[in-house]
Amino acid sequence: MTDLTLTEVAAAIAARRVSAEEVTRACLDRIAKLDGRLHTFITLDTDGALARARECDRVLAGGRALGPLHGVPLAYKDLCHVPGLPTSCGTRTPEYFTSAIECTATARLTAAGAVTLGKLNMTELALGPFGDNPHHGDVDNPWKAGHISGGSSSGSGSAVAARLAYGALGSDTGGSIRLPAACCGIVGIKPTYGRVSRAGAMALSWSLDHLGPMARTVRDAALMLQIVAGHDPHDGTSSHRPVGDLMAALDRAPAGLRVAVPENYYLDGVAPEVRTAVEAAASVLTALGVRVTTLRLPDPAILSDVANILARSESSSIHARVVHDRPHELGAAVRSRLEIGFHISAHDYLQAGRLRARLAREFIAEVFAETDALLAPAIPEPAPSLAALTDAPVDEIVRRMGRFSRLTRPFNALGLPAVALPGGFSADGRPLGLQIVARPFDEATALRLAHAYEQATALPTRRPPE
Amino acid sequence: MSEIEPSSRRQVQGDVAALAGTIERTAGDLALPEEPSNFAVVLEAGAPRD
Repeated sequence: MTDLTLTEVAAAIAARRVSAEEVTRACLDRIAKLDGRLHTFITLDTDGALARARECDRVLAGGRALGPLHGVPLAYKDLCHVPGLPTSCGTRTPEYFTSAIECTATARLTAAGAVTLGKLNMTELALGPFGDNPHHGDVDNPWKAGHISGGSSSGSGSAVAARLAYGALGSDTGGSIRLPAACCGIVGIKPTYGRVSRAGAMALSWSLDHLGPMARTVRDAALMLQIVAGHDPHDGTSSHRPVGDLMAALDRAPAGLRVAVPENYYLDGVAPEVRTAVEAAASVLTALGVRVTTLRLPDPAILSDVANILARSESSSIHARVVHDRPHELGAAVRSRLEIGFHISAHDYLQAGRLRARLAREFIAEVFAETDALLAPAIPEPAPSLAALTDAPVDEIVRRMGRFSRLTRPFNALGLPAVALPGGFSADGRPLGLQIVARPFDEATALRLAHAYEQATALPTRRPPE
Repeated sequence: MSEIEPSSRRQVQGDVAALAGTIERTAGDLALPEEPSNFAVVLEAGAPRD
């Protein structure tokens, strides 16, 4: 049953071929079987999930469906405030984050009928791309034990890939949805900045944070995005722009669209098999009638520097109290990254913010005059061994973090929508990750291309070994 | 502020100086009206026309 995709299981429940309780029990059974190794959950709400599933079944028996996710078990990164469950944000403090309001994104999924399985593991304070956590266990990669899950939405990526949940929410400040999606071979969407409300979720960097869905297929992730996107008065950065019909966009053939593969930066120093995967994806899209070209981009490295200044400044402001009062509670690399922010001047922070506006204006004007979307790798190599990455002094580990997330961070600075999706596998079975990036608020085009590629390759049918 | 090792402090200061230097070189010719909140305007203006 857990091999069904999110949209397939939603249809099966709606048609009463299977009950929400049966589906929820199937997920709980897999969690019991696999999570001892994977470490994806921080809080598992078995009783709450079963009670909610039974409620869904009663409602459906009465002839009513709550919404398109009626009875579908989901789980959420442990920085979303869900009433009745603690929010550790990956720290050792169970109630590290509280909010006067429920996370808008989780509330919308619940209103659409979802069953909450629990709260998912993450890198401490969402500060790191590997998925390790000294307090809740390192999240393992379902495809290859001992290799990173990617982070910081590590539990979200691993749990969905291992079929412990049909979908999850993650957050992305420098790649934290796309990196675990790529490492774990699933789909993750970083929407346009302002598209999905951040209300009720812990902030790491309010200028760069994005919440978004993670699921096994493009259609599954698109459905979740359709539900969580749209204006929210509780988030001052939330856009009023209409979301449109994302599901209808999936079924439009991509022929005639223009896609560009970056000539600079994105293929520099990547593993040969990553380059091959990008070239193969370009060939698949070409065969579908997409006009694929190459394009030199305005320097992404400066965008990455801008994002770093903003992220370090804002994260050290938000989490100053724990650094000042309880530094011993933080992992060494997380503490080191937070401390950088204390040394950045107000002048540099403001210059970075001003520069971001100009760079985004120039990038959007130049790039999208030539193309409708970009096709690039999401990770520079398939998920490396965690031991190999972390067997180094803290300063070197921090540098490795920066290198591993260098392909995703520029799009946080730009605020552009980016869909991470599987792009094949390495020779030893580790997923290769791609990302498709579109104009602001044009998630529909990125999803349309991603769906067409996915349908042509049938990659989601492959499942991790057990 | 918490205490950090002198070698790490030097590393932090070096990292910050490098980042700030890059920003300052690139931001040197920013137009006077440019401000951080323009970013949201840029995104809205860059959206596809329906």
